[in-house]
Amino acid sequence: MESFSDDSDAGLPPADYAILCDFLRERTGLSFTEAKRYFVDRRVAARMAAVGARDIRDYMNLLRFQASGEELQRLVNVMTVNETYFFREKYQFDCLVNAALDEVVRGRPPGSRVRIWSAGCSTGEEAYSIAIMLLEHWRRVDDFEIELHASDIDSTVLERAQAGIYEERSLQGLPAHLRAKYFQKVGSAPDRWQIMEELRDSIEFSRVNITDPQQVRAFRGIDVIFCRNLLIYFDDIGRREAASMFHDALAPNGFVCLGHSESMSRMSSLFVPRRFPDAILYQKPAGGTAP
Amino acid sequence: MALVKAKKNTTTPSEPGPAADPAANPSTGPHTGLTDADPAARRQAARALAQSPAPGAVPALAGRLVVEDDPGVREAILTALVRIGTGEAAAALLPLLDREDAGLRNAVLESVQQMPAAAAAPAVLPLLDHPDSDLRIFAVQLLGAMSHPERLGWLSGVVERDAHVNVCLAAAEALAETGDPAALPSLERLALRFPGDPMVGFSVDAARRRFQGG
Repeated sequence: MESFSDDSDAGLPPADYAILCDFLRERTGLSFTEAKRYFVDRRVAARMAAVGARDIRDYMNLLRFQASGEELQRLVNVMTVNETYFFREKYQFDCLVNAALDEVVRGRPPGSRVRIWSAGCSTGEEAYSIAIMLLEHWRRVDDFEIELHASDIDSTVLERAQAGIYEERSLQGLPAHLRAKYFQKVGSAPDRWQIMEELRDSIEFSRVNITDPQQVRAFRGIDVIFCRNLLIYFDDIGRREAASMFHDALAPNGFVCLGHSESMSRMSSLFVPRRFPDAILYQKPAGGTAP
Repeated sequence: MALVKAKKNTTTPSEPGPAADPAANPSTGPHTGLTDADPAARRQAARALAQSPAPGAVPALAGRLVVEDDPGVREAILTALVRIGTGEAAAALLPLLDREDAGLRNAVLESVQQMPAAAAAPAVLPLLDHPDSDLRIFAVQLLGAMSHPERLGWLSGVVERDAHVNVCLAAAEALAETGDPAALPSLERLALRFPGDPMVGFSVDAARRRFQGG
């Protein structure tokens, strides 16, 4: 492997670029072709400078072996830049529909409410992915009234989430039959798709700072909170406050789903990790006390 | 059924009403809220004090922490004290390090570590002279985790002077983690103070290797 040359326009050597892209695809599902070279090179160079990596080998070692996974997450975030995508880290949605929700509704009468909150929803891909996963894969979806809440601190991305218009890149992880079922093309644009009105109307979008107690008080009795790849941008005390807010917002036995590189045990002792076949979630104990 | 729009302006049975927010109720203050029978109100009171620390907030929070048994409220109080982050807040937490409750002790350690080092360190330093060696070890752990320009001097002082080998070992470990070779002379003298102790020898060797990049 080589480092970036002094000529910053040269970017990564082709072999290293391919190794990096394979690694990113394997770990995150993000796919970058040769056509995205300039985009990728610039962001990798910026991250290497930020962490003081001597060369791309040094940086790849950090990406592969850093225990916290924080740098991988930071790289992914600058690669996606408020441009998340449908079915990102899908195994967590699989966990929701294959195991967690069945546990949530155990003992509840049909017709009860189930509340799911996408916290830090950005432009809405996560919330809509949850909706599609529920409709497609949760066998008890018609037995309950399911509320989907989605929030972000950024009003601009919320407007985009409510509009529900996405470009090809956001939809790359979505199977074709689901795109055909839940989206329609926008006008004559070749790669702009809008999610169907029924789904747009089923999600309650709101602007929320998750560390503000007054704003979070509107969320109570939530059964599952998705807060993925957001808390890595908080400092220790901010993470701790957010975890405490989630604890308040959750119903007993409710779950928090964090990003794959995040761990609740480093933020709060209020939750119990639960290992399901598809993913690890963090549960609020029924009595409020982690053993 | 399936997907439904969330009901606007409604609350679930678990949600406290507006009166549960002590900051919003002029007849009560956050201090009063800390003793409310409802844990949700106590959490709200703690957070209100963190956002707008009133005079007497720290002793009120610390006083409640001692008797609080709800984990959510306990966490809200600890987080509030970290957010306040003054020397007074650190000093209010440190006496809890001698409690039997290991969970509370660990929470206190973690909380003081998250406070600004410049505020917390002056409260921690007197613990280095405490007669209880366990408390001195806690103090060493706290100082070792702080980003403070005098950290090396404090920890070196411990390995040079403390009579208890376990306190010295804790300080040696913290010094090794600093990665600063300036700590080596103190560590060498520690090895001479406890020549027959294999753990001391091991720790000093490990630090030596670390400083030499081995």
